[in-house]
Amino acid sequence: MTSLFPSPGGRWCFHLWYNEDALRVHREDTDFCQQKVSKLLSVTDSYSNIFRRATARVVARSAPEETVTSSFASFIHAVRPEHLSKTVRHRSKRMILDSIGVGLVGSTTHVFDIALQYCRELYSSVAVSSVYGKPGIKLSPTLAAFTNGVATHSMDFDDTWHPATHPSGAVLPALLAASQMLPPSTKPNGMDFLLAFNVGLEVQGRLMHFSTEAHDIPKRFHPPSVVGTMGSAAATAKLLSLSTAQCAHALGIAASLAGAPMANAATQAKPLHIGNATRLGFEAALLAARGMEANPLILDDIPGCSGFSAFYSVYQPKPLSTPSDHHEFLLEKQDIAFKRFPAHLGMHWVVDAALSVRNLFINYAGSFSPSLIRTIVLKIPVSKYINRPFPSSEHQARHSFQFNACTALLDGEVGLSSFTESSIHRQELRELLDKVVVEHPEDNVANFDKMYGEVALLLHSGDVLTGKCDTFYGHWRKPLSKESLLKKFRSNASHVLPEDKIETIISMVDNLENLSDGSQLACSL
Amino acid sequence: MILDTLGVGLLGTSTEVCHKVTQYSKIYSSDISSTIWGHLDSRLPPLYAAFVNGVAVHSMDFDDTWHPATHPSGAVLPAVIALSEAFPQKKKISGLDLLLAFNVGIEVQGRLLRFSSEARNIPKRFHPPTVVGTMGSAAACAKLLSLDQVKCKNALAIAASYAGAPLANAATQTKPLHVGNAAKHGLEAACLASQGLQGNKQILDMESGIGAFYTDYSPQSLPTLQSYPWLLDQQDVAIKRFPAHLGTHWVADAASSVRRKLVESSDNLLPLDKIEKVILKVPEVKYVNRPSPTSEHEARHSFQFVACSALLDGSMSVQSFASENIHRPALQELLCKTQLEHPPDNTPSFESLYCEVSVTLRDGKTISDRCDTFYGHWRKPLKKEDLEKKFQSNASSVLPAEAAEGIIETVYNLEKVEDSSVLSTFLSGQSARALSEKLRFL
Repeated sequence: MTSLFPSPGGRWCFHLWYNEDALRVHREDTDFCQQKVSKLLSVTDSYSNIFRRATARVVARSAPEETVTSSFASFIHAVRPEHLSKTVRHRSKRMILDSIGVGLVGSTTHVFDIALQYCRELYSSVAVSSVYGKPGIKLSPTLAAFTNGVATHSMDFDDTWHPATHPSGAVLPALLAASQMLPPSTKPNGMDFLLAFNVGLEVQGRLMHFSTEAHDIPKRFHPPSVVGTMGSAAATAKLLSLSTAQCAHALGIAASLAGAPMANAATQAKPLHIGNATRLGFEAALLAARGMEANPLILDDIPGCSGFSAFYSVYQPKPLSTPSDHHEFLLEKQDIAFKRFPAHLGMHWVVDAALSVRNLFINYAGSFSPSLIRTIVLKIPVSKYINRPFPSSEHQARHSFQFNACTALLDGEVGLSSFTESSIHRQELRELLDKVVVEHPEDNVANFDKMYGEVALLLHSGDVLTGKCDTFYGHWRKPLSKESLLKKFRSNASHVLPEDKIETIISMVDNLENLSDGSQLACSL
Repeated sequence: MILDTLGVGLLGTSTEVCHKVTQYSKIYSSDISSTIWGHLDSRLPPLYAAFVNGVAVHSMDFDDTWHPATHPSGAVLPAVIALSEAFPQKKKISGLDLLLAFNVGIEVQGRLLRFSSEARNIPKRFHPPTVVGTMGSAAACAKLLSLDQVKCKNALAIAASYAGAPLANAATQTKPLHVGNAAKHGLEAACLASQGLQGNKQILDMESGIGAFYTDYSPQSLPTLQSYPWLLDQQDVAIKRFPAHLGTHWVADAASSVRRKLVESSDNLLPLDKIEKVILKVPEVKYVNRPSPTSEHEARHSFQFVACSALLDGSMSVQSFASENIHRPALQELLCKTQLEHPPDNTPSFESLYCEVSVTLRDGKTISDRCDTFYGHWRKPLKKEDLEKKFQSNASSVLPAEAAEGIIETVYNLEKVEDSSVLSTFLSGQSARALSEKLRFL
């Protein structure tokens, strides 16, 4: 490490790192360094035979008094495809594929119809962006994002992360729509697209780590509406190549568009949370691109005047380190859970437990005979919005431990058709639901990393059969295999797309880094 | 309130923030369109007209303020006006329909604010117009759309999922968007409800509903409609005399009064070099405590700036916040001598706060004055002439005199107006002469 240019004040120094990969110039004093950079570039030339890359990349280094907000803006602005690790690329492509599939099948839902009709009636316009499952229809970019976001979350079939949120649905629709909005000369390639997507995920994850509250299943604000909006703003800002200052303003504007209460979970309005997260974050970036300015300290903790901290009772923000070769994306250490059936993630534990005890029961009794069952005991964590003894709508059914456990017991599986009107109201199912009691063991924490599901069948004979699930198949500890993920995608996509289109999407996502025109993905939907 | 809001909005269309959002909104165009106040040349889909006009209304922090604290009209009026224009020929919206819907929007906001004791004080966490304003807009639009009871409930439920922006963007260019978005999202919620979208039927009852925005939340059912006690009956709004945070209005009145005592006649300049220090006794409100603001947005949220401006000029006006005035040396000099004090009895509530301005001279003499109720506060409401004067001054920045007159006439006789679209026509700046036939009163 060599200090080449001591600054006038003596405080700031200009360091040159030599390594095999590149000349990296760390700039700490913006004004001072501006003249020096050009001088340095000429120095670089004479060393070009030492380094593989001749271009000097100027990366702002975090100074002690840098704010949290500016560190995020710098990250968004300065991160490059090279910073993505192999694991992160791989995992994020799986997420992209799953998210598209879920959105496609979601385009067959009623809530989607409402959203689409609404958008079409009020706007006919710069209609350049594709809508999932509707090849003949285009909408203006932010409305396409909205509609596709609604589709993605319409059945609660989309991915879930830890700390808890649905990360992909809040980011992907905005990027797809934005990619179609940009003129041909500035279209992002597949790598840019993948990078922007990961920026959106990373920002969400980092923000959630600012509050211990975020680690548990939410109670007050629905996380996608809080961090999802910010992630969408960050991702779109990246795709649109906004300056560092504009990235900061995008985050600031987005914060004023964030935050929906939990109460609309398990209702038809819940999908709007993702639709709005992706749309409004996108709008924030567009506004920032047009010069709108917001509070430059929106992510920092300023007592007496809440910024992003407004959404949490405990909030401890930390600056993001600027991306160096060693920046580790959160996705590297913490994978995502993919759902196997369209219901709240918590349901997946009780379903696997129910299926396991069902097998025991069939071995015991020869067949599944509900009349032999006196009581069904569910051991679940405490979480009001997913504890519903008698759900009456599909939205409630997707958020009911009891419903999902009983469906699994009765049918031996839970799938799309489990949530139709007729399935929900079947007599045999109601009879089973009548037998359910719920217990909340103290060690069963309302946390997607720690919770478990246990289903016990107390038979009239006095025997007790139990099934327990600590980690369901699809959870990050037991990820879906490539075959399972593709099976889910094909099954979902086939509801609205022909086979050849389905295969095109699969191979496009698989080779995303090599795609020359990122908007092709959106066009293929 | 309607008249003041229209004037403030018209003036606001000339602001930079408004230019930006209008440019932004133009990427959406459609067959159904609504007026952008003060603009004949372009129209926008109702949602974006509501947004842009809402931004205009709050662009200079010149719009009305209520107690408990919020800016009630800006979140509602742009939405109902935009919506009223979106009804095709099949349905005419009368002035009375508009007035009723507007009042529904105001009432709902007031009622919600009373569900939490937090709301009585100047906010710290969420900016109230983004919480209750969105709900008010949804309620008002639901009323105008004549939604049935179930759909009204859903409109509120859906709106809750759009509500809530943190306070930190106050004193920045983004703050006006809070009101624009409240209007727009409330309208959107009502439209979605109208199309059958459903939300949580107990959105106002649950802690995890609208309660999510407060630390203490105790909702109550509304009284029956029989001789309904409207909140606006018991509690009027404050109308601002200059475009800045309401808290600064106490400061301005006290400072102007001190200045009068300091100088012999209004021709005399303030003896700057004789001033040792300026002390402001104000409540503790962090986001209005700015010793040296650099932008107009910051200046509008600065006790110190308004005090010094009023001391220098004798009164505050729209011009006080022009860039050259913000940066003038005399003001900067005075700002350096200014300090704040927060007496414990000075509670941060628009109902009870006061301001005391003390100027200490180099010779030791101290001149001070105190303002408990500024002119324009609900305890000392603006007279009709002054309200109209404010409106005329604002409207004339973008509308011809006849259109401004037309608006005043229409608003004063709103209950009798058969077709409320006449209001929009004036708002777009069309000549009143050509419209005189449209003005039909019973």
